[in-house]
Amino acid sequence: MRIRICALLATLHTGLAVAAAPYESTYVPRPTEATLIRGVAVFTGDGGALDRADVLLKDGRIAAIAEDGTPAADLQTPREIDGSGKWLTPGVIDVHSHLGAYPSPGVASTSDGNEMTAANTAEVWVEHSVWPQDPQFGLALAGGVTTLHVLPGSANLFGGRGVTLKNVPARTMQDMKFPGAPQSLKMACGENPKRVYGERMQAPMTRMGNVAGYRAAWAQATAYRDQRQQFESGEADAPPERNLTLDTLAAVLDGEILVHNHCYRADEMAVMMDVAQEFGYAITAFHHAVESYKIADLLAEADICSAVWADWWGFKLEAFDGVSQNAALIHAAGACAIIHSDSAEGIQRLNQETAKAVAAGRRMGMAISDAEAMAWFTGNAAKALGLDDETGTLSVGKAADAVLWDRHPFSVYARAEKVWIDGHLYYDRADPGRQPVSDFDLGQTVAGGER
Amino acid sequence: MKVRCRPLSMGSMSAAVWLLWLLCAPSWAELAIVGARVYTVAAPEPLEGATVLIANGRIEQVGVELPVPFEYRRIDAAGKIVTPAFIESYSHLGLIEIEAETTTNDAMLLEHPLGPAFDVSLALNPASTLIAVNRMDGVSRAITAPRPGVDPLAGLAASVRLGTGGFLLEPKTALFGHIGAASAELAGGSRAAVTQRLRRALDEAARFSPSRYRPGPGDYSRHDMAALKAFLRSGRPLVLGVDRAAEIRQAISLADAHGLRLIVLGGAEAWRVRDALAAAGAAVIVRTHDNLPRSFETLGARLDNAALLHEAGVDVVFTAAETHNARNLRQLAGNAVAYGLPWSAALDGLTRRAAQVWGMDNVGTLTPGAIADLVVWTGDPLELTTWAEQVIIDGQLMPMRSRQTQLFERYRDLSKPYGYSR
Repeated sequence: MRIRICALLATLHTGLAVAAAPYESTYVPRPTEATLIRGVAVFTGDGGALDRADVLLKDGRIAAIAEDGTPAADLQTPREIDGSGKWLTPGVIDVHSHLGAYPSPGVASTSDGNEMTAANTAEVWVEHSVWPQDPQFGLALAGGVTTLHVLPGSANLFGGRGVTLKNVPARTMQDMKFPGAPQSLKMACGENPKRVYGERMQAPMTRMGNVAGYRAAWAQATAYRDQRQQFESGEADAPPERNLTLDTLAAVLDGEILVHNHCYRADEMAVMMDVAQEFGYAITAFHHAVESYKIADLLAEADICSAVWADWWGFKLEAFDGVSQNAALIHAAGACAIIHSDSAEGIQRLNQETAKAVAAGRRMGMAISDAEAMAWFTGNAAKALGLDDETGTLSVGKAADAVLWDRHPFSVYARAEKVWIDGHLYYDRADPGRQPVSDFDLGQTVAGGER
Repeated sequence: MKVRCRPLSMGSMSAAVWLLWLLCAPSWAELAIVGARVYTVAAPEPLEGATVLIANGRIEQVGVELPVPFEYRRIDAAGKIVTPAFIESYSHLGLIEIEAETTTNDAMLLEHPLGPAFDVSLALNPASTLIAVNRMDGVSRAITAPRPGVDPLAGLAASVRLGTGGFLLEPKTALFGHIGAASAELAGGSRAAVTQRLRRALDEAARFSPSRYRPGPGDYSRHDMAALKAFLRSGRPLVLGVDRAAEIRQAISLADAHGLRLIVLGGAEAWRVRDALAAAGAAVIVRTHDNLPRSFETLGARLDNAALLHEAGVDVVFTAAETHNARNLRQLAGNAVAYGLPWSAALDGLTRRAAQVWGMDNVGTLTPGAIADLVVWTGDPLELTTWAEQVIIDGQLMPMRSRQTQLFERYRDLSKPYGYSR
């Protein structure tokens, strides 16, 4: 809510006040039924684990968590689920997705994720590309994903604004928008921008060209913001002419939009941290960050999250030094590790990707518990999206975003049985009536299959 | 796990003889892996607490309570699981170091000098860093294939081994091609044109004679036709990348017309034509995670593709379809099990079945005389939190080290002075 008010104030400041922020979330929670999950093993998503607990979901929130032995008589509800032999985790959160913007089927007419027309397209909002009928949303839900952060692509230095969605079947993008979630700015380092524009004999063509591009844009944004402030304080007679690109960057400088920075190499991340310092903005997370393990101490000190793959490497030179222990080393240094997907397949099994990442650390003698690693795709992810007060952990008072797994979620054989968002059961593996089907999938050959 | 020589027994051997033995020990030690649960794959049930004896690069004996000869290097594997090492059925190992760097990528032809004659075995790089990375996770052999390029017939694949001996096992193990949207574009815009081109090429190759062949524009060169004719006579399989059920049927009839053994690569909708595939004796290389309607050719993609094919009697083998991470084969096989494939069939598809499909003799099972390619796992090899503790290829203990472990060691302690570790 705080953030929405900020956005509204920002709008008022520009002198272009409107009654409600445009493109605002119209998400309406669906009706809930108080549900008690009895005797279930719990990973709380913030490093905690309970061997056996009763968890009450009520009115869209986590109403109670009673550990084994605690009298749970007051938790009586008509609807009870036997959780014995099963595991409950927070809803899975993917901080790096392109669902809806690069939907399936992936054909030219649906390719809406990368506005590769200028190195700075901070004015585009990926939410305006999101196709809510993308069948990939439903598949991600079957993998336990309740919240996802959709980003524009990485061709540009400034790719545009990202959006956080609730993974609910909806007719409009606005019906999926996570109420109160801050928007993000996608920035990109390294090979992609310099390749895309360099091949056209345009700037940037080099890594130094990349950095010059960021600095020029931030300098412009700083001046734009100053002119706005001067107008507001009466020092200037008129506001600056409205500029959508600079609106986004100024909102970053004002702390309203979070920076999510695609960056692979350690040395480039260190440079980006200096760019942020020069212009006075914060980097929330580096994405892909295959070399975060080389500067995990610096990232811990700067409180910047690293959203990484478990094991992708070698597909380009800046990914050549990828190691499977990346997340484990980041975590061990006291920095914030997140496992992300960047993939419509990977998003369906972030629990498995995290299991591989923690096992890779253990294989090399690092002691990391399952409970700690669970945070890599739940609690830490919520933090990077600015939503850790609302979701990402199983704690009393937070949203009832939860997944019931039929086995330990780090098992390759584990499947999400039930998925709740704000306490509503959106997915039930045992009940085809609780498995959303997108418009696109109607009448296709897959009907009835175990997609 | 400990790898150690058996303690010296003074009663059986004098110190001098012992020393002499140490000096003369063969380059591959004779190995005894003791105490593991052993899946031989040849037998339906595992052997508990079994011993595997390895000598001269081969499996010598597998059994419970086997005596271990004193000179054998003993590997204590109690509580561990031993399986044959895994075979990746589709990769570009040795052909690609860094995907996006064209100077390190020899898997695909971007122009048109060669069609079916393109033989990737001539470009293999045994020094590739990908070999050790994937070997460390239990991959011992792979098919390394051309990638679909500008021709519906991409070229000839090779089989390779990831041990420390020779990399190339055999060139020209199969001819790879593809029918679908991508090849349709190359053939003028219709899948029909691809199928016609393939039919015509195979028909002409069957009666090809260099002196009589007069290629027109767009026809294969004499060199390509000679390679195609040699392939038709080789008894090697035709591997076609096909996803839509309609094209899989075309692939079956194309192979049938020339008496070729068909292997379907991908086959997102193979489950829809599983009976026809079974009747044709065709195998399918499944990439389990392929469940997206990512194109109009994969609208029927399903996670239980492998399970449905297996149930219908189709041979199922696996690919990670990601050369750098061929090591994820076991995760893909594990997911096939999560969606209905029997665990034993998944292990079979990674080992014996893959060896059969690719015509690799004497591998894929742990039986006396078989090539000693095997892995000691910390637990169920299809699980995500287990790992390969020791990989053995051709009877030799593989170094459990790669460029990635070297990077890890360099950076595990950031307080150390930077820059000199190796």
